[in-house]
Amino acid sequence: MYLHVAGIETGYSYFAPNVPGSYKLVFELHYSDGQTEYVLPSVSSEAAGLRIAALLDSIGRTRYEVLREHLVKTLARSVWREHPEVKTVRAVFGSIRLPTVSQFENGQRESYEFLYAYDFSIQNESLPEPKDR
Amino acid sequence: MQTSRDRLLEFLFPAETDNWLAVLRVGLGFQVVFYSLSLRNDWNYLLSGTASGLVTRNLAEALLSLESRFVPRLGWLVALGTHVGLREGTVLTVVWICLLVSGFCLLIGLASRLSAILAWFLHLCAAKSGGFFSYGVDNFMTIGLFYLMLSPLPDRFSLDWRLRNTPSNDPELLGFWRRVLQLHLCLIYFFSGLTKCLGIGWWDGSNVWRALIRPPFNVVNPEILIRCKYLFPIVGIFICLLEIGYPFLIWNNKTRKIWLIGICAMHVGIGLTMGMYLFGFIMIILNVAAFSSRSDPHRAAKVSTSGYRKWAHKLAGNEHSFQGVLSSVQMPLLRSIPRPRLLESVVLKSEPARPARGTGC
Repeated sequence: MYLHVAGIETGYSYFAPNVPGSYKLVFELHYSDGQTEYVLPSVSSEAAGLRIAALLDSIGRTRYEVLREHLVKTLARSVWREHPEVKTVRAVFGSIRLPTVSQFENGQRESYEFLYAYDFSIQNESLPEPKDR
Repeated sequence: MQTSRDRLLEFLFPAETDNWLAVLRVGLGFQVVFYSLSLRNDWNYLLSGTASGLVTRNLAEALLSLESRFVPRLGWLVALGTHVGLREGTVLTVVWICLLVSGFCLLIGLASRLSAILAWFLHLCAAKSGGFFSYGVDNFMTIGLFYLMLSPLPDRFSLDWRLRNTPSNDPELLGFWRRVLQLHLCLIYFFSGLTKCLGIGWWDGSNVWRALIRPPFNVVNPEILIRCKYLFPIVGIFICLLEIGYPFLIWNNKTRKIWLIGICAMHVGIGLTMGMYLFGFIMIILNVAAFSSRSDPHRAAKVSTSGYRKWAHKLAGNEHSFQGVLSSVQMPLLRSIPRPRLLESVVLKSEPARPARGTGC
């Protein structure tokens, strides 16, 4: 308890020994008329945006599949509230590949590596259906 | 053995003015205000425990309970509010307002101790309940507010001091808490620097590039950054040396100012180029409070005997050690006092003891 209240429960190896990659979560919204829309988890300030990035890092780094699914599901639910007419939601979670300096000079830009996908339907949102990795 | 103990006590309890405490209080006041304002629109959304939030707070609190049931959390306050008929949203808004007000109170030094405790508690509740959203800035705010809360408030520059005209705080107690903060910062930078040195990316500059283009820290356009690519290895090595050298060179009078400016410049750079303004600000505040000025040697000399004895007594915890420390302080003083002439002559003459009258030998 003392470690928590004094703020010393974590280590101090920020961006060390190497800068880790970051993650991205994209929601693919499927409407009943066949239309598809892509949205990202959104907040209203840059400061809160940094916290979303921390959340995505938590999702990406956790070793517990159940926890990952639960977090993605709750995020999908928040997207649903903003788009109530959506029929199904596919959550695609991936990591961002950053180019090196030389790769960037050769025209290569950041790319995404697919990690997980979850399908949610509005009729039965109790359990996500993990696709593959 | 006795000398090393004396040195340790002198190191742990240097006499200090409360300038550093004023810097810490005002700085953390600004930090709490900026923190609260930066999250004003998303506070309830991020910390809600119901389905209306982004990620339910209950999950983070359940995971926290696995570690300890006694770590403060928003769930306690929400449960308390529910008892008096308040909805969760109302409680969260009240918590946000209280945090903002405590930040303003710290800023001007009104009810300093209470404000520090309130700010620490409410921020800790928010940081722990929003555990999935928290990052480095929350750790350092907790550390700063924890030490502020325990330090001898109020300082001379606070409104409290002017209103109540309270006596000055014990300089050695002020020195002790500053020393704790200094040692903590040394540990933080040393281990941060050490782990960075283990990664090849900081030596060749590739980690500097990655840190600057990594979303969401990619504030500066990479097309502009790439023009400065030759600086990346220099900046990477500079950061490693700055951090790992911190605990060794921040204490030396000759290098202290250079190192402090270097560290603060690094945090200004992090704030501006990576958009981590709150993180940069809290680190600068902690560094400036800890190392911006030296302890006052004149004051230290003036109060050393009384405070030294008091703290030695407290630390040693027994009369024997207390006497030992006292004698080590007093012996040089006794030696320096000139002996009275009469006493000297008596000793020099070394007269044989004469028998007392009326007694036979």
